[in-house]
Amino acid sequence: MIELIASGLVLASMYGLVAVGISLTWSSVGMLNLAQGFVFTFGGYVAFLFAQYMAKNFSIRDGVLLSLGVVLLGMIGSAIAGLIVGGLAFLPLHDRVNFPVRGLIATLAISIMGTQIFMLIFGPQSKPLPQIFGIKRFKIGDFSIAYGQVGTIVVATVVLLVVTLWMRRSRRGLQMRAMMMNPLGANMVGVSVRTTGMIALAISGALAGLASVLLGQIFFVSPTSGVQPLIVGLIISLAGGLGSMPGTVLAAVLLGFAEAVTARYTEQSFVPFVQFALVIAILTFRPRGLGGVLEDVRE
Amino acid sequence: MSKYEVGRRRLIPRWPVRTSSLFHRIRVPGTKRSLLRFEGRYNPKTLQRELILKDKKPLFWMVGLFALAAIPIGVGQQLVFSIFGSICFFAAINVLWTLIIGTAGLQSFASLATVGVGAYAATYLSITYGIPWPVMLVVGTLFGALMGFIISVPARRLDGLYYALLTIGISEFLRSYITQSESLGGQFNGALFGADRIVAEEAMQTQSGQTISYLISFLVLLISLAIFRLVSGGRIGILLRTAQASKEDESFAAAIGIDFQRARLLVFLIASAALGFVGAFYATNQGGASLSLFSLDQMLLLLAMIVIGGLGKAEGAVVGTVIVVFLNQWFTSWGPWRIVLVGFLMLASVLYTRNGLFGLRQQLIEIRERRKALSRATRTTRYGAFLPEQGPEISDKGVIAEREFERAIRDKLRDWITPEIIEEHRLSPLGQHSDHLERILNYFRKQPISNKYVVYCESAFQAYRVVALSGIPGVPPRLVDDKTYSNLDEAYHAVFLRRINDLKSQH
Repeated sequence: MIELIASGLVLASMYGLVAVGISLTWSSVGMLNLAQGFVFTFGGYVAFLFAQYMAKNFSIRDGVLLSLGVVLLGMIGSAIAGLIVGGLAFLPLHDRVNFPVRGLIATLAISIMGTQIFMLIFGPQSKPLPQIFGIKRFKIGDFSIAYGQVGTIVVATVVLLVVTLWMRRSRRGLQMRAMMMNPLGANMVGVSVRTTGMIALAISGALAGLASVLLGQIFFVSPTSGVQPLIVGLIISLAGGLGSMPGTVLAAVLLGFAEAVTARYTEQSFVPFVQFALVIAILTFRPRGLGGVLEDVRE
Repeated sequence: MSKYEVGRRRLIPRWPVRTSSLFHRIRVPGTKRSLLRFEGRYNPKTLQRELILKDKKPLFWMVGLFALAAIPIGVGQQLVFSIFGSICFFAAINVLWTLIIGTAGLQSFASLATVGVGAYAATYLSITYGIPWPVMLVVGTLFGALMGFIISVPARRLDGLYYALLTIGISEFLRSYITQSESLGGQFNGALFGADRIVAEEAMQTQSGQTISYLISFLVLLISLAIFRLVSGGRIGILLRTAQASKEDESFAAAIGIDFQRARLLVFLIASAALGFVGAFYATNQGGASLSLFSLDQMLLLLAMIVIGGLGKAEGAVVGTVIVVFLNQWFTSWGPWRIVLVGFLMLASVLYTRNGLFGLRQQLIEIRERRKALSRATRTTRYGAFLPEQGPEISDKGVIAEREFERAIRDKLRDWITPEIIEEHRLSPLGQHSDHLERILNYFRKQPISNKYVVYCESAFQAYRVVALSGIPGVPPRLVDDKTYSNLDEAYHAVFLRRINDLKSQH
């Protein structure tokens, strides 16, 4: 039972990080960022290069400092990738006609190019990341939980809480929330759409980078490793209601547990069915997702 | 033949008409349409009868489609056949997808999945029950329509990006279903082969077999183009365009009696059935179906084709397909770089063009118009009887030239009017004058008769008055003031002063 909860929460935190990033970008920038998979992979590769460098030059293969460095560099790398996406898709397009569709296509183009460029540089093989939480396991009664699982849950929860608090308390967060509610109005009272949008992209990038480093513990990093998190992140942000943080987290928890339960009691192959059935059910009853705050505001 | 050939109008091809039937049209039987839209007219310069082709698109279509059909048959290599076969297959899908995205306005990303459903259903039934290929085509169409019906259900509640995401999800869902399903070739990574073929497998090795197979693919492209034309150019397309032309689609459409939802879902169903047909055709041509029909990468490549060509236009879908498929399959030695190039083209077309390759012309026209408007707004010269923007509205350019000429004359004469000239005229209204005064008087004399000032003799040698002619026979002249002049010279001079006054106030 505890194992089930643990694996559900691990999945939920992973999905939540990606989905909150997508949701944040959509609500503040008004662009569905399909290059989030590229951002995700970018951070993973930056972390991988860092780990490789440390292992080669300083023979550091584990330890707290390395783990911290891997996490930080993964986040920074993905934030930079987010800024690249913003520079290519958001800055030149955000004041043009039909921005939502053109932004979506531009991010898609970036994601297509990115996958192929990773393929050219790193080859199609998966690259391992160091185990940042070690490989030990907790023992609670009869159950055992890996350090990695606990670490993932804790880190993801803390980071999401920090982002939520930052959104609530800081001036930038206020600006971003203002832009979510009414971009034109925010612009009129002096919020720079460009600066705020780029910051939103960097933050959602950093979240994706964290998810990438955490997920890299299990699945390694490969040129196409961003596709699956992107799709799951998209459907979660969709089910959670694009633009709503609590809704997205709730949807992530729901889908994460759905996946854990399905994988536990039936086969792994049924997971996509259950997930999509759940999302379709949610959207049938709440067409704007669980959070559903942005119905008319964004238009 | 003038020395300087200005403008592009002389390059427009004209067909001289010898018979008297200048406005005769050959119509497509059963419709009011003609294949080529000619305009019959008389050339304003030579007064010859001539025909001008108003819409050159059908010609380009004919040339392009002929090239598409003829090139691989002429070259006759297997690689060229396979590239052009994929072009036809993807172009057919893209044209139908354009119908869904452009005409129906539904952002569905499940069109390739619909093709896949048609292909897998036809293949499965052919393998299991041994149905021949004509039945496979029917089955594929039916399954395509069924799939279209299923994914059109959420379209009633979701719109825009939500629907796009849902359809991406549906195709991923189907893909994972097929990899898990044993009867659909899950154990061979989704490859399901062994269906009935139109061209037998042995014949595919020969040149004639490949030619026939290619021509059938080409026929499928033609069918999908015909469906596009019928739906988008027909009544339902007009209804949808009318509804979408207004800001608030549905409420406006409902107000003028268009059932917007029903119309767009009908288009969606028709396009889905056709996509299923294309899928079944794929199965009969390839002898089965493979999982690439559901892959997200393939879907993205299709989207790249549509975006590069121009969203919402059949020609954009076809030309974009030709570009991308050619890049992707001809330059295989480039490795991943060719996909990078496709992505780059996609990015460039979305950053720099408003609607791909085929929106470029409209965009350039708009840029030119904007430049013109800017230069017009900053121009300070004052013109005569017409404004520069009226220029295009006046069909006889001679009128413009004449007005310009008159204006130039007026400007010149106005400069010549000095107190000395007026004094000269006052001293002797008739007889020999200086050159400038003579030219001014000549200008006044040749003015049209309406509103012309003349001298009216109330009683000879006693009372003269100035009147203005009406210019209409039977309508008497009107008095312009109540002054009476006792001799004729004074009256002449009064008329002169009035005319000068009018000339000064005119531009």
